[in-house]
Amino acid sequence: MRNLIYLIIRYSALFVFILLECLSFYLIVNYNRSQKEIWSHSSNLFTGGINKRMENIQNYFSLQVQNDSLLSENARLREQIINYRVASKENAFQEFESTDTLRKYHLIPVGVCGKTLNLRNNYFTLCKGRAAGIRPGMGVISDKGIVGIVKTVSNHFSTVLLLTNSQSRISARIKDSNYPGTIVWNNSNPRIVNLIEVPRHAVVEIGDSIVCSGYSISFAPDVFIGRIADFKIHEGNSNYSIDVELSEDLSALDFVYVIDYHYIEEKSNQLELENE
Amino acid sequence: MNKLIRRNLIRAAIILAIQVILLKRIDITFSGFNYIHFTIYPVILALLPYKTDKTLMVLIGFVMGFFVDMFYDSPGVHAATSTFTAYLRYYILALIAPTDGYGKDGLTSYGYGFVWFVSYMGILLFIHLLALYSIEAFSFVYLNEILLRSIFSFIASFFLLVLAQLIFNPRY
Repeated sequence: MRNLIYLIIRYSALFVFILLECLSFYLIVNYNRSQKEIWSHSSNLFTGGINKRMENIQNYFSLQVQNDSLLSENARLREQIINYRVASKENAFQEFESTDTLRKYHLIPVGVCGKTLNLRNNYFTLCKGRAAGIRPGMGVISDKGIVGIVKTVSNHFSTVLLLTNSQSRISARIKDSNYPGTIVWNNSNPRIVNLIEVPRHAVVEIGDSIVCSGYSISFAPDVFIGRIADFKIHEGNSNYSIDVELSEDLSALDFVYVIDYHYIEEKSNQLELENE
Repeated sequence: MNKLIRRNLIRAAIILAIQVILLKRIDITFSGFNYIHFTIYPVILALLPYKTDKTLMVLIGFVMGFFVDMFYDSPGVHAATSTFTAYLRYYILALIAPTDGYGKDGLTSYGYGFVWFVSYMGILLFIHLLALYSIEAFSFVYLNEILLRSIFSFIASFFLLVLAQLIFNPRY
């Protein structure tokens, strides 16, 4: 303490000098217009630069949160598109319908936790389960097309039967000519699936879009699946055998959306009645 | 000792009066050339007795600068400059110390010779002016202007100060 006082006394001129200079500059900056402007401008430049840098760093840390929010927003938008499409189709001859029809499909964004891709029967494991509202039978889509159907569900995980699974059967149709068929996978190329049960009188062209028929409980109508890459009719067969190229590589997916159809139980009951 | 203080006080009063009443109004401008401003009050700091306490010097510098500021409508600019100059005076004196040291109190040409006084006053005044216009511009963007103003004002003010020194030739 005594040393400190000695120090202050010894350098009192310096301390007084610094103090008075600070006071003067305070006066300059506060009571002179042009200096004030220069001061505030340059300090803005300085602090602005720091703020921007800090924000960049912060952005980096909040990427995950932003990703999630973008994902849920995406889900909401896609949901709207699907619902509007359905509504417009079903209401073609009706002028008025309650807005409830717009809420038939709900999308749940989910991350992919595990994959099997090179087997004969391929599955995805999703990071959400019953707790998030996922039920067996729901369809799974990605940004560009369909992925598969939820097969089993635990509380926090669920298993998806991919398109590239030999057991998968998904109702589809050719978009332009409206002929229905079924998507199966009976080759080994993960980018190609097969559309079967299209009658030989149907009009088929390479490049035609294949979309979901909307007859099943899993998928909304008109969800894109892929394009016709090749087709032929085997001798003595009454149906086409069509190769459909998928719009994306399933192995590259990290995020998917599960389609929650509002009337899923009602419709599945109805379908069962028909089958009886 | 009292005589020394009284003399310095009277000198300060006169020089400050000349500065803020007379020299402030002199505005030499021709065809955009506006770099000459008479600034003579640093001589008050320069002529303070050699033994003046350093802390007191700094305080005097601040008070004097603040006084000038009140008339120049520039709060803080002259105060900051004068404080700076007052603090530097000790180092300037150390830099140009005569071979036999500072024996006398009056830092004038009478005591230490004309050449010594010119170099002492020149260094002090130029530092003061450079600091003054730098602080006034408050940004080194205007470096050209700062230098021009400092140089031309220095020539004019220095001329006045040396002339006064020759005419009055004070002991203290």
